Amino acid sequence: MLRFFAVAWLAALLLPAQNLAMKKHVLANGMTVIIHEDHDIPNVALYFFYKVGSRNEKPGTTGVSHFFEHMMFNGAKKYGPKQFDIVMEDNGGRNNGYTTRDVTAYQDWFAKPALNLILDMEADRIRDLAFDPKLVESERGVVYSERRLSVDNSPDGALDEQLWAAAFTAHTYAWSPIGWPSDIEGWTMADLKEHFSMGYAPNNCVLVMSGDVTEAEALALAKKHLETIPRRAGPPPVRTKEPEQKGERRVVLNRPAELPLQMFAFHVPATSHADTPAIELLTTVLAQGRSSRLEQRLVEREQLALTVQAFTNEAIDPTLWNFYIQPRAGIKTEQTEAALYSEFERVAKMPVDDAQLRKAKSQYLASFYRQMKTLGGKAGLIGGFEIFHGDAARLNDWPAKIEKLTAADLQRVAKAYLTEQNRTVATLVPTKESTKE
Amino acid sequence: MRLLLITLLVASCAAQVKLPPYTKHTLPNGVTLLLMPRSELPLTTVTAVFRGGAEAEPVAGLASVTAELLERGTPTKSTEQIALAFDSLGATLNTRATDSTVTIATEFLSRDSSAALPLLAELVQQPTFPEDEVKKVLAQYLDAARALRDNPQAALGVAYRRFFYGPGHPYARPLSGDESSLPKITRASIVDFQKRMLVGRNLTVVAIGNFTTSGLLPQLTAAFAALPAGTAYQPIADPGIARAAKPRLLLIDKPDATQTYFFIGQPGIKRGDADQVPLQLVNTLFGGRFTSMLNDELRVNTGLTYGANSRLDLNRLTGGIAISSFTKTETTERTIDLALGLLKKLNETGLAANGLKSAKAYTKGLFPADRLETNEQLTQVLTEIELYGLNRGEIDDLFSKIDSITLERANAVAKARYRTDGLVFVLLGNAAKIRDSVRKYAADFTEMPIAKLGLEP
Repeated sequence: MLRFFAVAWLAALLLPAQNLAMKKHVLANGMTVIIHEDHDIPNVALYFFYKVGSRNEKPGTTGVSHFFEHMMFNGAKKYGPKQFDIVMEDNGGRNNGYTTRDVTAYQDWFAKPALNLILDMEADRIRDLAFDPKLVESERGVVYSERRLSVDNSPDGALDEQLWAAAFTAHTYAWSPIGWPSDIEGWTMADLKEHFSMGYAPNNCVLVMSGDVTEAEALALAKKHLETIPRRAGPPPVRTKEPEQKGERRVVLNRPAELPLQMFAFHVPATSHADTPAIELLTTVLAQGRSSRLEQRLVEREQLALTVQAFTNEAIDPTLWNFYIQPRAGIKTEQTEAALYSEFERVAKMPVDDAQLRKAKSQYLASFYRQMKTLGGKAGLIGGFEIFHGDAARLNDWPAKIEKLTAADLQRVAKAYLTEQNRTVATLVPTKESTKE
Repeated sequence: MRLLLITLLVASCAAQVKLPPYTKHTLPNGVTLLLMPRSELPLTTVTAVFRGGAEAEPVAGLASVTAELLERGTPTKSTEQIALAFDSLGATLNTRATDSTVTIATEFLSRDSSAALPLLAELVQQPTFPEDEVKKVLAQYLDAARALRDNPQAALGVAYRRFFYGPGHPYARPLSGDESSLPKITRASIVDFQKRMLVGRNLTVVAIGNFTTSGLLPQLTAAFAALPAGTAYQPIADPGIARAAKPRLLLIDKPDATQTYFFIGQPGIKRGDADQVPLQLVNTLFGGRFTSMLNDELRVNTGLTYGANSRLDLNRLTGGIAISSFTKTETTERTIDLALGLLKKLNETGLAANGLKSAKAYTKGLFPADRLETNEQLTQVLTEIELYGLNRGEIDDLFSKIDSITLERANAVAKARYRTDGLVFVLLGNAAKIRDSVRKYAADFTEMPIAKLGLEP
């Protein structure tokens, strides 16, 4: 009964209260600017999303999108090498960037008075980025170090790379945004310049301004600094479609480790597809919180696993539904695998009961709203909906889409996607550590 | 309320931010309640913070395991029923131990306080520690302690604490225990720790969110009134950290590692030290932000690493200042040499006036987003004020304290605290390839295979 009230309230009260107000404008050069006013703290988050990522790369230059993300901090015409970071920090700001298979994002967080200055610096690097050969070489070392940190010396990173490489045979999602080592060593200046002219067109960019601004001043400043940057062609369409998988694929990674690791992936449609809400909610039923089915079965009752995680990535093209398991010591990976599949069978055969469905909706919606706690969180949500769902305003309809889901919807997506023929399994098999070089 | 305040700030980023108003109440059993109403989101965060934590545990991991078991059984509910109760409300439930606390926190829709608060109070006041749950949690912790060796950065962190603080210091122990300590934990030791430490006189409950104080105070009072008062924890005196007479170095051998991860530590300060604010500014410039001396040289100028920083511990007991970075095996020596060169430069040359000005603007500009934006951040602020015997001047006077730091003061602190003698090195990497080159950093040289990490007596 309590649960029912909680959910009813979520729908009735939280929803209207949490509508994220935003205004969207398209500048004359095609850049999309979305403004969210929030005067809670005297700060601003600016997120630039360029719709270019490792999905737009080719063999030989894998990882160049991510490398380029680093080069964007290495100087332009007005603000030379190091100046972007120095000026930003001098003025009470901090920045970061990240690259996924689909987007390259630049994030600036700063004290409100710096808004005009930050936009001036952002416009400078989009318009007139410099390509200093010396900086290219030193940044190559930085990126390789990042790869060693996140992939080569990380069991999760190394296995995840193998998982995607096995799951995709045709589409460019096969490689990870960090790129293959030989490509990291091989990128040329020409590759960088080509990538810049392809991806960094203003018409290929979504800018989200979230924080202590008024819509009028934010828009005026965006126009002043960004509108004169000329429109360009933008990245060519990614033509290749991943063919339907017709049978299970398995990949093994041998490396020194204390415990094995397992990753399971299933092809699912792009984020914009109508099945996404059901996939998200079923992910919650299966793996969010200690009361979720997989946690209860694998971690708590049968004690086969230390951790279980499930997630999908926001993606422009059809992507993967991922399940990660860290088996307990002494447990055979066949045991965890069998338990996982039997839970998949269960959701495919039997509809989730009402109480579980309500619980999952409460959990999902509460964590959806938790993303709105910070200016940066809101900027990320807005940008994600604009790019992956086709319109930022759809984020305000999203809770209703989740609310409407039925047990039959969840059962349908389980049957459609969590199948043997659609499955890729990657297993890290621990080897004895060699003490020789 | 905060809105008004903040509107006045728009004119200048340097204007002082204020901690939003809150009230403090004490229950007859010694429980302290701190209530801060905020209206931004329809969420309320309630955190029960017990003093003591890992520094009060007789065996490594006991505080963490006890915290974890608070959500695993009461007279009326099993682990699964507890999880179901919170998950069904869309509420979070987190337990953890730190060096100086055991905390249990929930965040729920503000409307649900009459359901969530009694649940939280039941976990805090009536844990039953079922034998099978104790066994399960200990086994999970043991596996996690083994898996730690697969994660170089986490393994280095544990090894560094142990080596830096040295035998007998509470911060030397791994918070989650290790393979030698976890088998010593029994249900009896857990119950004993709970009865001794998780009592009214050690408890502060911080509630922040969308509520009225007059509405929530009676609910909180009712929820926590039954907790036995117990005896207030008498914290151990600060043993301080003596600077080593000679540098010490521990090399952890991981033969498959393709890069070397390292810490270089030296004695620092404790939270609330008179040098805290100038030291934070100096550390920002040395290794606390992207353009810092360390990151600029090791990453931007030379491309040796993805990141280099300097960490400043601010805990109840005196902690350390540590340079931290990683680089490919072949450039280990060059990277450490450069880091040590920067340390020497900071010590000998100090900072420039424009650098100090920049550190001040940086700290103040980001402060609202770093410390005052979310309920969790504000909970942390109030917890620190309570735990370390501070007051709201920590926030309200911070900007004027920052403004008052002169270049002379900052440089005196840099000189005194960033020294090149008696350093403590901990490295993790392929020993066969780096052993000979890193010996030069310390005559006091120890090497250990990673398989032995966590098995030390």
